[in-house]
Parts: sequence; C-alpha cells; structure tokens
Amino acid sequence: MVINGEKLNIGYGDITVVKDMDINIQAGKITSIIGPNGSGKSTVLKALTRLLPYKFGSVYIDGRNLKDYSSKELARNIGVLPQMHSAPPDFQVKELVGYGRMPYQKWYQKNNAEDDRIVDWAMRSTGVWELREKSIHECSGGESQRVWIATVLTQQPEILFLDEPTTYLDIAHQLDMMQLVRKLNKENGIGVVMVLHDLSQALEVSDWIVVIKDGEKYDEGTPENVITPKMMKEVYDVECDIVHIEGREKPLIAYREIS
Amino acid sequence: MDSTKKRKVSALRVGTVWLILTVLLVVLSITAINVGSAGYSIKQILSAVFSSEKSTVKVVVMNLRLPRLILALLIGASLSSSGAILQSVMRNPLADPGTIGVSAGAGTAATTILLLFPQLTGSVPLFAFGGAALACFLIYTMAWKGGVDPTRIILSGVAINSVLGAYNALLQMLHSDSLEGVLAFMNGSLSGRSWTQVHTLMIYAGIGLLLSFLCIKSANTLQLGDEMAKSLGVNVSVTRVLLSAVSAFLAAATVSVAGMIGFVGLVVPHISRILVGSDYKQMLPTSMLMGSVVLLAADTLGRTIVPGMEIPVGIVMSVVGGPFFLYLLRKRGKMIGN
Repeated sequence: MVINGEKLNIGYGDITVVKDMDINIQAGKITSIIGPNGSGKSTVLKALTRLLPYKFGSVYIDGRNLKDYSSKELARNIGVLPQMHSAPPDFQVKELVGYGRMPYQKWYQKNNAEDDRIVDWAMRSTGVWELREKSIHECSGGESQRVWIATVLTQQPEILFLDEPTTYLDIAHQLDMMQLVRKLNKENGIGVVMVLHDLSQALEVSDWIVVIKDGEKYDEGTPENVITPKMMKEVYDVECDIVHIEGREKPLIAYREIS
Repeated sequence: MDSTKKRKVSALRVGTVWLILTVLLVVLSITAINVGSAGYSIKQILSAVFSSEKSTVKVVVMNLRLPRLILALLIGASLSSSGAILQSVMRNPLADPGTIGVSAGAGTAATTILLLFPQLTGSVPLFAFGGAALACFLIYTMAWKGGVDPTRIILSGVAINSVLGAYNALLQMLHSDSLEGVLAFMNGSLSGRSWTQVHTLMIYAGIGLLLSFLCIKSANTLQLGDEMAKSLGVNVSVTRVLLSAVSAFLAAATVSVAGMIGFVGLVVPHISRILVGSDYKQMLPTSMLMGSVVLLAADTLGRTIVPGMEIPVGIVMSVVGGPFFLYLLRKRGKMIGN
C-alpha cells in the first residue's frame, strides 16, 4: 500500500498551516514526521487520515482518491491513534480493544468468534493480554497507551498512524513504545507513520524521516541523511554533533552543552 | 485469578442494582395503587377490581390510579433514557433534554396556545410536541458547520433557549391573570391524566425506548472521543444527529403528555453511571428502570404528602432530588474521581 499526498494545503478556518506539501508513505516502513512545535506535523498526519479536511491538493491510497473511501473502508486500511483520546475510566481493556473491530461490522453487530480471535491477537502482540480484565483507570500511562495501540491494531490496518505516541510517557515507557513500534513493523509487516518530538527516537527506529518546517517540507530521507547538524541548526536553531559510538549501530545526537 | 474475580463482582453488582430497582418498582407500584385521598387495603382493591360490579374503589383504581401509575413509569423511563443518550452525544454529564431546546420549545408552544389561542387548549400536547421538535431542529441547524460539535450545540442551545425564555416571560407578563394552565404545564404534573394519555404515550415511549436500545453501541463509541470514533469508521456527526433525534423524540413525547419535568433526565443517568459504570449496555437499562422508580416515588409522594392537595411531580423531583444528588456526589464522587 502506498499513500501519496500531492500539493496539500491544509489549515483551520482562514489560516493555512501546511503549504503545497508532497508526501509519500510506503507500507511496511516506519516513517517519522518531525519538526518544531507548530510546524504542521500533526496537521499533515490528520489530513492523510482524513481527520482534517484539506483545502487544496489530493491524497491517494494505492492510486485511489482518499475522498472515495467510505469511513469504514478507510478504517480497514489505515489505523489512526490520535493524540487526544479518552475512554470512560471504567471501560474494560478487552472491551475497548474490541471496538477496533467496528469497521468490519454493521452498526447492530457484535464481535463474533473471529473478531474475538483478532482482539486476542492484538492484545498479545502489544503485551496487554495480562491486563485484559482490568479497567482503563487501573492501567498506568504506558499500559493504557499500549491498550490504545492494541485497539487500532485490531482494525488490521496496513498502515498505523500514531500522533506523538510517546508524549506524556516517562523515558522507560517511551523506549518501550518505540520497541513495540519496531516489533509490530518487523513481525507483522505493518507500516507505521509517527509524529515524533524526540529526535533520538526518530533517528533510532525510523526507515524514513520527513522534516517539516513552517508548514513546508524541509527535507526527507533516511535518518542518517536527514538528521544532520545543518538541519538541526536550520530547522530547530539548535547546535549539535552527530556522534558514533562503538558497539552502536545508529549514531547519537550530542547537543551543545548548556553553559 | 484476581482479575477474573473482579469481573464477576462487577456483573454481580449490575445484577444487584437491577434486582433492587425491580423490587422497589413493585413495592412502589403497589403503594401507589393503595394510597391516596382514599386509602384502600390490597384485599379491598383486589376484590373490587375482579368483581363485575362498578364500585367506587374500582373506578378510583382503574380510572385514576392505574393510568397515572403507568404514565409515571413510562415518563420516568423515557426522560432518563433521553438524558442518558444526550449525555453521550454531548460527551458531557450535564446535558439534559433542556440543552437541545426540548423544554423551551414545548413551553413556548404551550404558552402561546394557552394564552393567545385558548380555544385550541385541547391540542396543547400536539403543539408542545411540535414546538419541542422545532426548537431542537433550529438548534442543530444553527450548530451545523460541516458537522455538529457538542460545544456548538450547547452554545446555540443556550442562545435559542434564552430567546424562547424571554418570549415566554413576556407573554406571561402580558397575561398574568390567566396563568393557571401555563403554570400547570411548566411544573409538569400527572394530575387528572387518563387512559387516553396512557395510550398515546405507550405508542410514543414504546417506539422511543426501543430506538434507544439501538443507540447503545453508538453511544459507547462516542465516549471514545471524536477523532478516535472517526478513525474507527464512525460518521460522528450523523451519529450525533440520530442519537439526538431519539433523545428529543422521547423527551418531547413526555412533555406533550405531562408538561415539563426537570431533573430526572439529568440526575438518573448520572446515578446509574456511578452505580453500574459508563458502558451503555448496562447504564441505559439501569437508567430506564431507575427513572421509572424515581418518578413514581416522586409522584406518589407529591399526591399524598399534603392531604387534600397535590404537589406537581416536577416540583417534588427538584426539591427532593437536588439535595439527594448533592449528597450522592459528595459521598460517591470520590470513588469515580469526580
């Protein structure tokens, strides 16, 4: 599956946030969208997933216009975990994950045995199987984020869109989340598109990185080619070195010391 | 092991709540038939009802108390269900049928007829229903902007409610000498209702309550947030409009028969949520059952507490319900983190 955004202009009301954006998403790859606050990262993600209408331009999924997809058809092809989501705290984990089957059902249908099997699979793949009988408010922040990923995974999408999946998590759970993303990609071949704030994490897990600055695409490419001291200076106005450490495959970002 | 235990307790809890409510419903129903300005024993009632003779007891029970009992049950269930559904539409526990203009619309229509066209007084229920539907439609039209969003519904509801409220106040000031009928309508009452109203409401409430069971899954999905619901393939705006229509239909049906009864639609779903959780599979039936219990209790109290006088059920609901709700919020609020 390939998603192509062509000449996208996206905005809220009269304000244009994203201008003439071309963006291509490959299935089976991990793509990260990075950029400073307010640069339009989340806006692009929302436009590609039809959570936000775009003013001009077009999005194609496998050559077919995004506008021609029915809501359910789209939800069977792509899964989106928005940044803002909430469930009543007393909802049970397995019940919440079960809602991921909705795109496959008529409005009056309940989950059947096949749906239950997929719900179980999604809970096992995301490591929340043990939590299935608990209610959401009994889960920690990291656990509940995994539960939400399981819910989206239950849609059996080819591409998973995650809007800042690590925000509000402590470092252990952030790394845990990245590990999970990598695992889902490697073991299940699911494509992932993420908006990320943490550049070290983007550098570490991504196959492809798109850099957005002031609503326009600044650069895209492999992490090593994109994350450079020059980009960091021009996009974030931050001084850094990219350093290689023996025994580590990927380089690290060493920010200039705070004096 | 531990977690399976928790699940069982939760199912047990729902079962217990339903059992208690059913018992209360039966006890209250029997009480409502027995008590009144004339008190009868169960034996007296049974022998009168099943005899072919036309006794006073039989007339009072069959023509006055029984229809009133059924009305109270239907109205309580309808208002609570209406409120429960609306709270999911708005994602706000403070939403009630008044929010979407049902009360103001019905009130405006009824006031207009009673004060300006008194010759049409017999058709007040019909006009009230129409007024409620119209006000609701107006609010949603104003709120529609490429979709409906709860904040816009609530805000345009506030605006339209205030305009209608002003119109009602003005009309009442100009006709301050003939407000009896208007007051009776504004403070919803079941006094003097007969089988005619029961038959009407049975059809409307029957349809409405059936429809609300079909809303359960959608109501649950709306609780996950708009973007999440959308990404699960739900057309959020259409769902909101459909659920609101069911809710408005139920509330309008009760208003047209009994006038405006506040508080039930707001409080009963809230108490149900505290007792059985937010899943509408349990919460909605609990609300219906509890709504019937609460309204029947309020009406029975209203017609017996002061001998020789009837206090409208709407007033009893607010006076007794308010403090009870406060008590519940303080006591149980901690548990659900409110």
